Amino acid sequence: MGRRRFRGLTALVLAVVAAVSACGPAQPGTRTLQVIVSVNGSYPTQQKQWFAYIAEKFKQRTGADLAFDTFSSTSDVLTRMQTSVISNQGPDVFEIGTTFTPTAFSTGAFTTLTDQDWAKVGGKQRFRPATLGLSGPAGREIAVPETSLPYVLVYNKELFARAGIDHPADSWDGLLTQAKQLTKGGVYGLDVAYGDTGDTWKLVRNMTLQLGNPLVQGKNVTLDDPRTVAAYRMLYSFRGTGVVDPATVGWNNSQALAAFAAGKAAMMLGTSGLSQNTLDNSAVAGKYAYATMPTIPPGHATLPSGGVPATSILSGNNLVVADYSINQDLAFDYIDLVTSEAEQEHLFDVFGVLPANAAATAKVTAGRADLGPILASGQGSVGTPFNGAWADVQLQLSNVTVQLIPQLARGRVTDAQITDQLQAAQKIAADAVARAR
Amino acid sequence: MSRFRAASVQQVLPRPVHAAAVVALLLIVLVPLAYILSASLNSDLAVAAGDFWPSQFTFGNYARIWQTTDLAGGLRNSVLISGSVAVVSALVSVMTAYVLVRHKFLGRLTTLRGLVILQSVPGTLLLLPIFVLFASVSTALRVPIIGTPWAVFVTYLTFALPFSTWVMVTYLRGLPLEIEEAARIDGAGPATVLLRIVLPLSWPGIVVAAIFSFLQGWNDVLFSSVMTSPASRTAAVALSVLSSTQDTGAVPIYGQMMAASLVCAAPVVLLNLVFQRYLVNGLTAGGIK
Amino acid sequence: MTSMERRDRPLWMLIPGAILLAVVILAPLALVSYMSLTDLDQYTLRHWTLAPFIGLGNYVEALLQAPLLSSIWISVSTAALVCVISLPIGVTAALAMQNRFPARGLVRSLFLIPYVLPAFAVGAMWRTILKPDAIVNGVLGQLGLPAPLWLNGPASYWVLVAVEAWSAWPFVYLLTLAALQSITKDVHEAAAIDGALGWAKLTRVILPQIAGSVALSMVISFLHSVNNFSVPYVLFSLPAPASVQVLPLLTYAQSFQSFRFGLSAATAVASLIIVAIPLLVYLRALRLDVGERR
Repeated sequence: MGRRRFRGLTALVLAVVAAVSACGPAQPGTRTLQVIVSVNGSYPTQQKQWFAYIAEKFKQRTGADLAFDTFSSTSDVLTRMQTSVISNQGPDVFEIGTTFTPTAFSTGAFTTLTDQDWAKVGGKQRFRPATLGLSGPAGREIAVPETSLPYVLVYNKELFARAGIDHPADSWDGLLTQAKQLTKGGVYGLDVAYGDTGDTWKLVRNMTLQLGNPLVQGKNVTLDDPRTVAAYRMLYSFRGTGVVDPATVGWNNSQALAAFAAGKAAMMLGTSGLSQNTLDNSAVAGKYAYATMPTIPPGHATLPSGGVPATSILSGNNLVVADYSINQDLAFDYIDLVTSEAEQEHLFDVFGVLPANAAATAKVTAGRADLGPILASGQGSVGTPFNGAWADVQLQLSNVTVQLIPQLARGRVTDAQITDQLQAAQKIAADAVARAR
Repeated sequence: MSRFRAASVQQVLPRPVHAAAVVALLLIVLVPLAYILSASLNSDLAVAAGDFWPSQFTFGNYARIWQTTDLAGGLRNSVLISGSVAVVSALVSVMTAYVLVRHKFLGRLTTLRGLVILQSVPGTLLLLPIFVLFASVSTALRVPIIGTPWAVFVTYLTFALPFSTWVMVTYLRGLPLEIEEAARIDGAGPATVLLRIVLPLSWPGIVVAAIFSFLQGWNDVLFSSVMTSPASRTAAVALSVLSSTQDTGAVPIYGQMMAASLVCAAPVVLLNLVFQRYLVNGLTAGGIK
Repeated sequence: MTSMERRDRPLWMLIPGAILLAVVILAPLALVSYMSLTDLDQYTLRHWTLAPFIGLGNYVEALLQAPLLSSIWISVSTAALVCVISLPIGVTAALAMQNRFPARGLVRSLFLIPYVLPAFAVGAMWRTILKPDAIVNGVLGQLGLPAPLWLNGPASYWVLVAVEAWSAWPFVYLLTLAALQSITKDVHEAAAIDGALGWAKLTRVILPQIAGSVALSMVISFLHSVNNFSVPYVLFSLPAPASVQVLPLLTYAQSFQSFRFGLSAATAVASLIIVAIPLLVYLRALRLDVGERR
């Protein structure tokens, strides 16, 4: 290739690149609101349509344009948030999961909602009280709830009927007994995604809350408490008693769901309403139902005093407005639009996500008995402490499981091993909480 | 020279060793690739369950990937950006390497060593400061940088430079000096020597440097996900959408993920197929005789 | 050096590269070094210039509290093993391309595939194959061999090495291939005339010629492995089992999960220094920096 062609090629490429980058946004003078939301891989075309639909409505309402950007995972949105906060430029509105709203709050880079702001989005009474749990400390909230996604268990009605069991037990001990009864004929009683770092800590947390250990309260961290050990002990006893497939040690949530969907397990812990789509197209279509996870802790027949009947971690999506945004008014307009009764119903119709809007929830769940348990789980959800250090605490809880997997694979985890891991976790978590402001 | 068949004089490995090596290597490469291929033709649930061979072949994934995410746009952006990075990086690194190898100057050794050290700087370390830098420059000059292809172009180009330069350094060291010196005695300036004489002889090195530079941008997700807007997004980010961990419930779209991985890997392999004659024919094309 | 050469030095050719490197790598590096001396975390991120200066506090914490030293050991040892494995495979593959055989051009390109596949596809594929109830353990079970846990526990270390080596050897192959091109047909024919064939030709003619390239590929391959984030992340995710807690995972977790940017910067800078010193020694020893002038 001669040098002239070489130079020509380079020039051509640079020219094209310049042209591509020069193609900027449309008319000057129209304001644009930048919103970043999580991408929906299950309903991509519907999501694109929804973007266009909402942009149209927004334009009618405010005369401004709406530009959507998407993120593909939690770490993606957190990275985007960090780069935006440090450089004071980026999206105006973030859709962020409830678990990381405390982290967003701790950066101090998001607009605190005044009473007027709440009024702009219909007031707190517009939302189901359960969904407001992770909006922020009282009087200093930053987040408006958008959708709700509580965790539940799913069970196979047919297998239950065959074993003569009516409904999953409300206590962990009872659940274990049922699982033992259901483990026969090549089918396992229970399905737990031990290999999924996002799953197991939520189950442990439910149990410790029920036992009366809040794990973090103010500046006090109680990870290495005997009650936490009891929770992990229960979690691992599923493997120990053989009610779960030994392979679950390496499964993530989708693999556990796949096994349930193939009819190989009678129950699965830690799933959500989003599994409906998969289950309706699988071997267990029409044979499955949701139920809340047990609320009575292991080793007890009724809820002990001091215990909280947690059904799930408070889970869903919140909307926050960046402090650096020059479109604060437009941002609240958008939030008002998306959390209005009509749009929340629409979201449910298109994507199957449970609304945070109270009126919309009542409407879409009316006559849907199958959604009852999910709603109940939402009611009983308990939010994580509103603390910038929670991310670290959560990491430590899941780290305990990860480090104990080799022992779990062999079938047995001793209390001593659990305690060792918890003591290491306690130290790191306590440090993080001490640093929190 | 009739005793030696021209073709066989270049070979190094004896026949049986050669055959065994090629077969073994092809197995190492192709067997896992076969798994990706079969997973792309399988249903998501079956892949999640760990099946190797599909019980039912579904070709729909290859059609769906273009809808689920803007893969076409991503590929277009990636080709433009990575292609430009490859070309410009090859050019800049040849220039830099030429001076480093053929001329002495103060700080030459330090530069050479420094370039290797720079190779050991991890990308994650530089993400925030580079973002801050670009954002500050952008605000100061009132010119958008983040969100345009230029941000990632400049980043990938610079990340590719240390290694590309070293490849050219190693390669240029192996070139005989006689022709260059002859040209210089004839009165040619250094730029002419570089372009007319050195460049045509360095094709193998340039192709390696170009492939490496191309891949800097092709597979990177971290910088692209924060520095591009939906319009300038690269294929790697589109691919990561397909692998996005769904909120617990839905099964990840494994089939589409695997199909898209193959689609994203194909252009590089194809480009290599096209350019490999430069990789192997460099010296004979230059004509040392 | 003659005066003509001195006057003729085209130092201006260094300018484009120098500007790019200074602006995009050196300036951010300086910035990051500054950040490593401050208490930059999620609480101070917003006004990062005002983050409290704590001197070497992060470095002390990194070395004493965070598992930095064990991470460095795991990173360095896996990277070294990857290099040792990639070397013979890569060189053999390049040498094999010297023979003419049908579809040589195609095979030459196919060999690049492991290097070219997106890292996360590689990780996802191997993770699915190595699950406890998946194909690898299935085959091992059928052959009557023990089927251990691959993605956690002690075996995970070797899995990391194997997977990284699988995707790294084409890099050595590529560099060696290019280097082999500098051995002209004349040299081959001269060797043949001298009676050097097979092993003798390999050791006395070929290897010395490509030694520089191979040594360079070892250095770069080593650095790539040490800094490889995507493969361990997709294979093991975070939190990772203790046996594969490599450096990139540690800095990523500190930075993007715990939001301790100052600490993460210190960890990265400390490991950079710890890795750079033996590297420089290696360069000096092989005289790679000076180069052999013929």
